[in-house]
Parts: sequence; C-alpha cells; structure tokens
Amino acid sequence: MTTASGPSAIHTVNLVKIYQTGGLPVHAVRGIDLRVEHGEFVAIMGPSGSGKSTLVHMLGGLDTRTSGEIWVDGRRADTLNESAWAILRRQKIGFVFQFFNLVDNMTVADNVELPALLGGASPKHARERREYLLTELGLTDKADAAPAQLSGGEQQRVALARALANQPHVLLADEPTGNLDSRNTRDVLRLLGEVHRQGQTIVMVTHDARVAGLADRVVTLLDGQIVDDGAVAHVRRRPKGGAGDVVELRG
Amino acid sequence: MSHSTTRAEYRWVRADLKARRAQALLTVLAVAGIVTALITAATLLEDGTNPWRGLFLRGNGAHVWIHTKDAPDPATLKALDGVTDVAGPYRAAPATLVQGGKKTPVALQEMAPVLPAVGRPLVREGRWLDPSDPDGVVVERSFARAAGLRTGGPFSVTGLNGASHGLTVIGLAESGDQGFYPEWTPGLAWTLTGTLEQVEPALGRSESVTGLRLADPDATSLIVQRTITKLAGQVQRVSTWREAQDSMELDNRLLGVLLALFGAAGLVAAALAIANATGGRVLGQQRDIATLKSLGFTRRQVVRMLLAEHGTLGLAGIALGVLCGRLITAYALGETVAVPLSPAPLLAIALGTALVVLVAVWLPAWRGGRTPPIPAAPTAPPRGHLSRMARLALLVRLPPALVLGARDAFTRRLPAVMTTFGLAVPMMMITIGLGCWASLDAFKSHPEQVGQAAALTVRPGNLTSAVANQLALADPDVVSAYPGTEVDALVPGQTRTVRARAVGTITDPYPYSVVEGRLYRDRGEAVAGQGLLDLLNVRIGDRTRLTIGGTPLIVRIVGRVLEPEQDGEVLSVALDSFAPKDALPPQFYSLVLRQGADPAAVRSRLQTRSLEVSQAVNPADRLSVIRVIIIALVGVLALLGLANLLTASALGLRDHAVDLAVLKAMGLTPRQVMGTLVTGTGLLAVIGVVAGALAGAFVSSGLIDLQGAASGIGAGIGRAPAPMTLLLAVLTVIGAALLVALIPARRAARARIPVTPR
Repeated sequence: MTTASGPSAIHTVNLVKIYQTGGLPVHAVRGIDLRVEHGEFVAIMGPSGSGKSTLVHMLGGLDTRTSGEIWVDGRRADTLNESAWAILRRQKIGFVFQFFNLVDNMTVADNVELPALLGGASPKHARERREYLLTELGLTDKADAAPAQLSGGEQQRVALARALANQPHVLLADEPTGNLDSRNTRDVLRLLGEVHRQGQTIVMVTHDARVAGLADRVVTLLDGQIVDDGAVAHVRRRPKGGAGDVVELRG
Repeated sequence: MSHSTTRAEYRWVRADLKARRAQALLTVLAVAGIVTALITAATLLEDGTNPWRGLFLRGNGAHVWIHTKDAPDPATLKALDGVTDVAGPYRAAPATLVQGGKKTPVALQEMAPVLPAVGRPLVREGRWLDPSDPDGVVVERSFARAAGLRTGGPFSVTGLNGASHGLTVIGLAESGDQGFYPEWTPGLAWTLTGTLEQVEPALGRSESVTGLRLADPDATSLIVQRTITKLAGQVQRVSTWREAQDSMELDNRLLGVLLALFGAAGLVAAALAIANATGGRVLGQQRDIATLKSLGFTRRQVVRMLLAEHGTLGLAGIALGVLCGRLITAYALGETVAVPLSPAPLLAIALGTALVVLVAVWLPAWRGGRTPPIPAAPTAPPRGHLSRMARLALLVRLPPALVLGARDAFTRRLPAVMTTFGLAVPMMMITIGLGCWASLDAFKSHPEQVGQAAALTVRPGNLTSAVANQLALADPDVVSAYPGTEVDALVPGQTRTVRARAVGTITDPYPYSVVEGRLYRDRGEAVAGQGLLDLLNVRIGDRTRLTIGGTPLIVRIVGRVLEPEQDGEVLSVALDSFAPKDALPPQFYSLVLRQGADPAAVRSRLQTRSLEVSQAVNPADRLSVIRVIIIALVGVLALLGLANLLTASALGLRDHAVDLAVLKAMGLTPRQVMGTLVTGTGLLAVIGVVAGALAGAFVSSGLIDLQGAASGIGAGIGRAPAPMTLLLAVLTVIGAALLVALIPARRAARARIPVTPR
C-alpha cells in the first residue's frame, strides 16, 4: 500500500475483531479502514467499549484480527505469526500502556535498555541510547532506581523512554495518561508532543478530548466503527509553543 | 539469535533472581537436598555391596598376589610391562590358632613396622606392628570377628613343629588383598619378621608372597601369564583382585530396592516442588511476561528465559548436591564409607535429576510462553463465588474467615491440585518411610516372624552331634534345638545350584513363618522362599525335582516361607526327606532361644563349652543404613513440602492482595483477614497431608512386601506404621504447615494494602 510519498506507516483494510465470550460473538471492531502517514499524530477517541484499545492492540500485533488486513510500513503484517509479530514489534513498534507496565524487578536503566538489546544493539549502544533518552526525559538521576520508587508520571516517562529505545516507526499509546494526575498528564503530553515534532509517528488511544486535542488528527470510534475522522485545525496554530503550553492554557 | 538478544534475556533473568533470592535459594536447597540424599544412599549401597573397592583403593592394593616357593627378585617383576609397583616379597607360613580346644588354621605373614606403599593393610582397631612388641600380631578383621579375637586378647599359635607361642593381638586391620573370612581361608595375621621366624624357623615350610600393582586392572590375566612364564615353575598359586572382590560381594538386593524406591519418590517430590515453584512464579509474573512480549520477546524466547532461569536453579542445586554428597560421604560417613561413589552412578544421578528438573520446569515455562502479550489485562484469578455450601456454612455461623479462605483455596484449580499433590507425595513418602522403620523394628524384635526363629546355630565341631545337642539344650536360655543340614542342590535345567535346607523333622518341624500355603507335613513336601519360586518359576502346589549329591529329590512345594537368606533361593524340607547319607549326622543345630534372651550372651556361654556357635545376622542389621536414609529423606521431604507451601502462600497472597483490601473495607478484622489467608493455604495443606498419610499407610506395607518379593525374602514382611506414630507425624506436619502459612498471612493482614492496580 503505497502512496505518492512512499508507504503509509500503518494502513488497515476492513479490519474486524470478533470476540467469542461464552458462545456469544462480540463485535469489538467492525471493518475499520485507517491510514496513518509517517510523522502523523493520530488520536483515537471514543467511549468505553468502542473498540479503540482493541484496534491499537491489533495494530501492534498484541491481539489477532478476525479478518481484514494490517500493513505496517508497506508490509503486510496481519498474516504474521506470533514470533514474527514479536520481531516486527522489536524493530518498528513502540508501546506505551495505561499502567506503565515496567518490569518491577529491573532498574529504570535496564527497563529502557531491554528493547534496544532485544533489537540487536550492542550493550554500549543500548547504554548510550538509554542515557540519551533518560536525559531527554529528565530522568537521569533515576537510572538505578526501581520502578516502584518512582511516581506515576515518572514511571510513564520511563515507559515512554522504553518505547522509544529502538527508534520505532510507530509509537502506539493506549491511554498513556489514563492513570495520571493532571500535572503528570501535562508532562507526558509535552514529551509526546516533542517526539512527534521530531518526526515520530504516534497513534494514541484516549477518551479525553483535551488530550486528543494535541494530535494532528482525531479518529472517533463508536461501536467498533469510525464515525469521525478529521484533522485538528489548531495544532499548528502556535508553532513556537509546545504542546505542554497548550494543555497548560487549557488546564 | 544475536548476542545482545541473549543479553536482554540474561538481564531479565538476573533481575528476577535478585528480586526473589530466598525463594531461589529454597529451590536450590531442595534440589541439592534430594541429590545429596541420592548420592549418600547410592554410596552407602555401593559400599555395602562392594566393600572391596574401598579397601583396595584406600590400601593402594596389589591386583595380583603371587605365592612362590622362594622370594622372587622384585626388580624383575617390576620390570614387567604393565606392572607399576611391587609389594613384598613377604614370607608367609601356615600355623594353627589354638583357642581352648578349638584349632583353626591361620596364615602368618611378615610385615614391616612401617606400612608399605602398596598392599597396605588398613588398621581399624588398636595399632600396627611395633618392633618394641615382638609378640604382637595384627589380625585380619573378618577373621578376628569369626574367631572371636579382640585387641589385647591372646593369640596362641602352634607352628608345624608343634611348638606353641603365646602372642597377643595388638590390632585389627582390613585389607582388600584377600577376601573375607570364612569365604577366604585360612585367616590372616600379620607379624614382624622375627616373630614369624620364631613360629616357623624352617624356611622350607614357608612360602613367599609378592603383590603386583598393575597399570590396567583389565590386563590381569595377561600379566599373570607373563609372570608365571618369567618365574619359570616357581609359582605355586596366584590370587587376583577379581577373586577378592567376588568373595567380598554381598548381595543386598532388598537394600538396593528400598533405596531405589526412596530415590525415585524423592525425585518425584522434587519434580513437583520445582514445577510448583516455577509454576507459581510464572503465574505471578504473567503481567511482566506480557510486557516483555509487547516489547518484542517471542514465545520461544520467553520459554527459553524461564527454562534458563528455573533450570539454572535446579542445576545449581544439583551441583551443590553433588558437592554436599561428596563432602558427607568423605567426612560425616568417613568411617563407614571408604571411597566416594564411582563415576557411573554419580553421573546417572546428576543427569537423571537434571532431566527431572528440566521436565518439571518445562511445563510452566511453556505455559508462560503462551501468555498473551496484552499486559493491560489484569491477571485476576478466576472468580470463585460463594457456593450454596458456603452460604450454608455462613448460615450455621462458621467463622467467615474459614468460609472465605476455603473459597480462596480453590479459585485456581491447577495450582490448588499441584499444591495438594506437592504435599501429599512427600507425606506419603514419609509415611512409607515410617512403615519401613516399623518393618525394621518388627524384624528386630520378632525375628521369628521374618523366618529367623533360630538366633544361633551350633556346629558340633569335634564333638558328636548328640553331645553337641545335649550341651546346647543344657543352656537355660535355649528353648529348643532343631537338627539340620544344608546342601547345595542342582536345579533342573539350570547350571546353578540352590540351597536345600533340612531343619527339624516332620514330627517336630522348625518354626518357619509360613505366609502362603502351609508347612510340610510329610516326606516329599517342601516349602520355599520367594526367590526360589521365582527362580524355578513354580507355584505353590507344583512339583519340583532337584538333585542332591547325585540323589534326586522330588518334592511338592506346599507353602511359601519368609526366607531372609540367599535372596530367598532356599528350599526347606524336613530332615526326614533327605536321603540318610545326606541327613545324618546333622551338620548343625538351630537353636531357638527363650523370648528376650540375649543371643550374644548365650553364644559366648556355649562357646566356652567348645561348641562352634554362629549368630544369625538379622536382616534388619543389614538394612540399618535404611534408617539413616529415612531420617535424611524426611528432612529433604520436609524441605520440599516447605517449598511447596511457600509457593502456595505467595500465590495466595498475590491473588488476593486486592480482595484483602476489600475484605478489610467490608469490616473484617486483621485477625479474620489473617484467618482467611491461613485457611486458604492451610486447607490445601491439610488435605494434602491427610491424603498423603492415608495413601502412604494404605500402600506402605504392600509396597514393602512388593520389595520383599523383589528381593527374594518374599511378601509378608511389611508393617504399616503404628497409628500413634502416624497421627503424631500428621499433626506435626499440619502444625508446621499452618505455622508457615501464618507468617506471611500475618504480615499481609497488618500491611496497608493500597487499592490500586498492580
């Protein structure tokens, strides 16, 4: 699936997910066609149960699709098996979850280095990348701390650093601010905005309209179908200011 | 897989191990305990069945002993290809040991006051020869035991010239250079050169003994041939290490079977404990594993990581166990065990345990690998709900903690089953161990019930059998004396012989313990041990034909008796059944003693009346090492049970951490919360322990009988543990289990539990 400017970062064709719970089929996602271009920041919104998390999980291969196609960076991905998906995730996809999901037993530094090592980077390179990311995210002094010693916001920043460790093509974020207070939400959103400005493609699930306002484009789901898909007009309105400022003004 | 991918796995494993040091240590210890027990048991068994090996190794024995007329030149022998060292030549002379009226042939052999490098006797009691004590002799221990010689006691010998010499026993020593007395005769005593010259001044009546230590024991016969050629006609006799080893070998099948059973059961228990610990850990880590998968770990990587982590613990345990086993056999059992286990069984134990560990770890690791990669899904246990039973229980005002705990115990089916089994199997083994203990006690206190009615056997020696019989019966502790004869009988269609024993007569039969069929009532009827029935493949009621000294003996086997000797390969008939030439005069009298009499005391009394008396070896004495094993096993099994319990309670805590906050919010006191947690784990423990004890009690006597049958003694020896002992054991284990469950529960109940997703 290529466009004039090369393949899309993510592209889905008639994506369907049906859960079988207790013999009753539940249509979580019903035929979604979505195209995310490189460098785009897409927010996926919708009420609870609208299928937005399921969609993002399918985009990252965490969940299998029932039918339809998923293309990641011009390559068909929905037919991949579990291991191939895992390798694809290593190389091209970063995940941020609502509950941070840091490995509790490992230090912050190890958590961030893990994907880089997994991706085949040398320990030295992994360390350098980790140092760079932690510095960028203001967590340099927390490198040797255990995740449990960090605040929620700090943990989410570490999770973000981990997701970015392999310079993924796409960052998938599932309610990244859903478990944070307003101040930490602001911090995390500011960081997302910054990486986006550096050219990072982001797909973020949120049910918070203010958070979604940060994105280039908001896709709204209802009952597993796209009901609205449109660019956000004001994003480039204040090119000098950061996303954090926007939120700050509004919050 | 690239190098850094492996590094990623390694980091995770390292971090996880760091986070649960105590649990990891417990796993290592449990495996180490099992391996140590297995190695110790195998070493004891090997040493018990093959004492030659240890003696030979410790004494740096010579593989070949050459008896020549004149002393050969050691340098010539040493120059032979394949000979590494030479012992001697030593002068040796026959003499007669005189004890009261009894005369026993003995071989005296000269030795230097300084022990030689090769073929060194191992002093077990007293001291070695000393030039300042020219009358001192050191006696080979098995001979000393049989002849009743003690350190410090007299040793009067008569030389071939008839002169008597009053020597003194100054020490007892063992040697791997010749077999045990009486299988290997004559008995051996070492003296100083001067002493030997006094007893046997004529050089012509003595011989020269030279030992050769070989580079390759398998080349023995070749080198013997070469030596004989070299020494051209001088060699009178040659003995090799093979003969010495054969004569020392004891058949300890029952011991072997018992140890194998305990070993196998220990392995099963260890497998369960490891599978439980790993399974519990993996269950607790589901979210982390899902996260790793979302980061791009493949299923195979996760499985490999878990296998590596838990497998490493197991392998570390094996390494530690091998080390401990070696140390224990070298130091704690240094007196009884001469040499460490030979490589083959050691390797078998190490590899076998490694295999068990890997299989036990593999299943949970595989399950871990199948964890779906969505970490956001909370890993709550499957919801249990209050059943009608529980509602009823609450209605009749059972404490709510009990009801809630009982519900919790079964919310996760598989772990609940694993925990129950993980405790039931060790408990079953402990019960079987107690059963073995009880059986040994029964052997000990009622030898007549295991086919050993006669504690002593009297051989007439120089006396006529009638006089011997009268002398024996004159002792106040002797109840009855049964005349008997033992001969080797040829088995039809076999190239081997079995023991045919005739003790007692038809009218006055020996009190066998008949466990199947009946005792013989007529000539031509016989009873047999299990071993013989197996060997001849006959059943009770069958006729069999044996040949005794050319005379055929056709008997009908009418019963099976417990037969502790000769692996049960003994046919017993009445003395009347034998042809008179075989039966008369009786070779010996089997003496049944008054209940409670001390056989050793009776024996020494009878010995003073110049009777040859031997004491029956109680099967339990041969098995006494089992008791050590049982104690060790109970310890190791307790450790395994503990590992299981800790896993269960950790899992319980993890599963219910959120529930606990809710329970507290509902108004349960910390004590009730604690009660809930303890019940959750304790209930499984109680079920496991009771089930295990019942199963153990149910199978133990049957199992021991099975082993008895396998070993030839025959079924009928098994005893279940005494009810009180069993009850005490069960209560102790349950008490300990509840205590173990109590500690984390208490901590959890007091801790403030935040109501947040983990």
